[in-house]
Parts: sequence; C-alpha cells; structure tokens
Amino acid sequence: MAQSAHDRRRINGPEESFPPIFDDDDEDITLNTQRSRAPGDIRPIFLQPGLISQANGSAYIETEKTKIACAVYGPRQSKTTTYSEKGRLNVEVKFTPFSCTRRRAPMRDAEDRSIGVAIHQAIVSSIRLELFPKSTIDVFITIIENDGIEGCIASGSLAASTALADAGIEMLGLVASCSAAIVGDEIQLDPSEAEARASTGSVILACMPALDSITSIWQSGQMSADMALKVILLQLNTRCIDIHSIVAQSLLEHRKSN
Amino acid sequence: MASISKAEKAYIQSSLLSEPPLRADGRGLIDFRTIALESGIAPLANGSARVSIGRNAQDGGGGTEVLAAAKLEVETVSDGEGVDGGRVVCSVSCSPTAYPLLSPNALDDLQHDMTSVLNATLSHPTIRPKNLGILPGRKSWLLNLDVIVFSDAGNIFDAIFMAARAALWDTKVPRTKSVQYRAKKGDRSDATQAMDMDVDETAHVGSALDTRQSIQVSDFELPDYWDEGEPLDGKQAWPVCVSLNLLPTLHFLDATLQEEASVPLKLLVFYSFPSDATPLLRGMRLLGTGVSDLVQTKSLLKDGEKYARNVWVALEGKLKDEDLRRNQKARERFLNR
Repeated sequence: MAQSAHDRRRINGPEESFPPIFDDDDEDITLNTQRSRAPGDIRPIFLQPGLISQANGSAYIETEKTKIACAVYGPRQSKTTTYSEKGRLNVEVKFTPFSCTRRRAPMRDAEDRSIGVAIHQAIVSSIRLELFPKSTIDVFITIIENDGIEGCIASGSLAASTALADAGIEMLGLVASCSAAIVGDEIQLDPSEAEARASTGSVILACMPALDSITSIWQSGQMSADMALKVILLQLNTRCIDIHSIVAQSLLEHRKSN
Repeated sequence: MASISKAEKAYIQSSLLSEPPLRADGRGLIDFRTIALESGIAPLANGSARVSIGRNAQDGGGGTEVLAAAKLEVETVSDGEGVDGGRVVCSVSCSPTAYPLLSPNALDDLQHDMTSVLNATLSHPTIRPKNLGILPGRKSWLLNLDVIVFSDAGNIFDAIFMAARAALWDTKVPRTKSVQYRAKKGDRSDATQAMDMDVDETAHVGSALDTRQSIQVSDFELPDYWDEGEPLDGKQAWPVCVSLNLLPTLHFLDATLQEEASVPLKLLVFYSFPSDATPLLRGMRLLGTGVSDLVQTKSLLKDGEKYARNVWVALEGKLKDEDLRRNQKARERFLNR
C-alpha cells in the first residue's frame, strides 16, 4: 500500500527504472576526465543579478555545466514566535528532477540539506544580521543543472551573495567561493563532476576577499597534512579575489542598466 | 546548542581571555575531560564501542555519551548503489533524551548535519577498507556504521569520531568462500563443489574450440558459521577528530555546552597517522558565524595536528588494551577459573 505511489501529487512511473546504456558510453567517461583547461583555470562564470522580478533580490549563475538560480526574500517577519535578537538566515536548496544524469525525486532529500548548510555557513558571517531582529532572510536556491557537488556549493554561494547584494541587504562584504580537487600530485581548480570523482581529495573555500577573511572551509578526502592544503588555500584565495571582481562587476553593470 | 545569556557569554569569554585563562572546571585550554571507552558492547554487531567524555567520577553519569556499532550486510554490486569492493555508510541518530529541548524537526536536522560530517569523512573512497569485497563484480559487504548520541555535554564530534574509530577497529569481517555450481557431466564423479576462488578450473570437458562461456563463480558461503572473521582493514586509516573552539586570539579544546555557545567559530580537523607515512588530513570544517583568515587557519592546522596526534596515540593504546582484555586476558581468566 505504501510502496506503490510515494508521491501522490504526480503520476509515478514504474518503481524501478534505469537510465539507458549507450554503446559509446565508455569513451565518454575517459574523455571527461581529461581537462581542456589548465589546472589553475576556473570555468568562465556568467552571473546575472535581477533574474526573478518578484523576489527582493535574485541571481542566476552559470559555469559550463552548473546552472543555479537564487532568489532572496527578506528581511521579513519571522514565523516563529520566539524572539531572536539577530535576524535569521534560512537557506533552502532544491535540485530540479532533471538536474542530474539519474532523475532525482522531487521530494526533499538529504543532499539538499547538506548543500544548504554549506552555503549557509559560507554567507552567514557576511550579512549584518544584527540589524534585523525578529526577521528572517530566506534564500531559495534552485539547481537547474548539476556538475558535481563542489561546483554546486561554490556557485550557489556566489549566487546567494549576489542575490543578497541585489536585494539591498546590508553586508560586510561579498562572498566569493571556489573549489579545488587533488588528482595525483596536481591541484585542479573548479573540478567538474568526473574530475572530482577521480580525485583523492577536494577543498571548497568561501571567503570575503574585501576583508581578507575566510567564512567556510570544507575539505574532504585525504591530503598530506598541510603541504597540499596550504597551497590549495593560497591558490583558492587568489582565485577568489578574481571571482570577487567578477561579482562586483556584474552587480555594477546590472545597476547601471536599470 | 545551549541557549545562553549575553552576560554569561561575556563572562565565559572574558575568563578565557584573561591571564591565566580560566575555565569553569579549572582545566587548561587544551585539557580534555576524562574519556572512557569500552569496545564490544553490542554482541550482535560486527564491531561496536562506547565513548563517554566527562563522566562524573561519583555516579558515572553526565558527560557526553556516544555509542557506535558497525553491522555488515551483503549487497549486490550490479544494480543499485553497490560498489565493487564494498562500501561504508554512516549515520548518526540523536536520542531525544540528549536534546530534550529540541523539536522533532530540529532534532532531525541536527542528526542529519552530524551524519553528513561523519559520512563525508568516513565514506570517502580513499579510506575504503580493502577486505569488504566478496565476489568481484557481484557481491560485496556494505558496512553500516550507526552512531547513537545518548547525551551531549559538549564536544560531540570528538566523541562521535572516537567511537566510530573504535567500532571500526573492533569490526570483524566474516570470511567467505565462493561457490560454483557445476552440472553433472558424464564421467565426473562429484557434482556441486566448493572451491577456492583462485584455483583454476582443471581439464575442460570438450574440445579446445568450445567457445561457450565458462561457468562463473555465482555464490558464496560462510565456511565457518561461528568464526567472527578477520579484522577490518584500514586500522591506521580511520581518523580522529579534534574540535578547536576559536576566539580571535586563542583556541581551546573539549568545550562544555556553555563554552560552545559562547564561541562564534569552531574548526573541526580530522587527522589520521599511518605508522610509516606523514600524517594525513582527512577532513576539515569551519562551523559557526565567525570568520577566520589564512594565517590563523595555517597555525590552527599545525596545532590541530599536534592535538590529534595525542588523541590518536592515547586512543590506540586504549584500543590495544581493550583487545588484550577481551581476548587474551579473558582466555587466561577462563583457564584459571
């Protein structure tokens, strides 16, 4: 009874379904892990603020195969009755069902929450929450196409920070975020999904370059204690400074054109 | 987690920043509370351990208490999420008695956050143990590591990872033997046999030009039902966690709930120390509403490695003691009864 239709709002397909297997699948896999750019290059970022008109602030970010839309509503009254002296930041992430190679169920998933927590950690220290008591700022992130979790978290943090700036919410600085993966002895910045899966470790760094401060570090996998990590942090830090200028520029252009 | 007033927060911060630093229980900045560990506490699990930090000496209550148990199940590699060579899946569940003031939704969220930290570190492909495969390409072991938090008095992540490491150290993987079924041929005397995986098939009945697919190994069995098995591989790989609570000018370890609530930023570092190689950083997380910077992060990593090494050495000593207690000494006691 409970097994037949998990989702009563939609017409469910067969319970077990598998993606089709194509003859030339093997070749594709080997091609993907070969990088077409230098290890220190990140994929070009397209960032457009002001995408969703009904939200207080919004942004759309696209880097090759990662497409994320972000909308910010707030500051608005907190639904909860408990008094909070500082404002609350609520980050909700949703994957669209067509964002990954295997269809994701539209229901909220465990992975959604961990990405939401990571993005929350990246941006919460940049917002002046003490100016909004009893209020909530809602950040809704929709991942339209997904090319690796590291890319999603990094691009999602960028989109969220841009959307918050677009909404006119007071912040201490813009948050720039970048990821890196270690493949063998090489450090590759901004890995795609195939590269991240082939790597032995990955780092996602979120920082505020304007204040020279780090808001979030997420490292997983194995690395020789500080050697590789220090290099990554230095490389990521310099990359984040470049990304910061991209974000600032796109916000300025958007304001000028309005 | 504990809600704390601004006055109390300021009180704790100023006493930590004073010269010399003062903590409510008189500890130094890098002193841990008493840690108690016992392994093999869940006889039905393949490996288990219980860790408590800061237990009262008088009545054995209070403090952070965590239980970890590893259970193996067989899964098929071809469909679903099975991986050739086996995999590890971790989960943390928080007992409502540990967090009586949290709503069920908030408890779920907390549980989920702890699970994702544990999973991201211990289920990573680079740390996967080597003896979790059964039939290559077909069947493998799925190791479910379940951690239960019974009570939280601060420093929960250190306790969770210590318990996880101890449970995985204690885990024994049952030995399997692959089985091949052969149809009865004319002059062959025996039908179904069990044979070792790497022994080649002897004279093939029929001509050498026979291109039919040779019969594959199709199933496995446990040669000895009562044998617990061989120890899980990778004892040197499972990391320990050190939570460094950060104030702008100093850091301290093993915080109580009130101290955790007074500190804006926390850094979790996960280190493993293989016996012959350089220490490996297996994970790092910055948690909280504060900010750090490059210089502080670098020095914290160095300090974190030092603290982690102390925890590692102490934990390993205790785990070896536990092994002795449960095996050798138990046998001696039995013989001398």
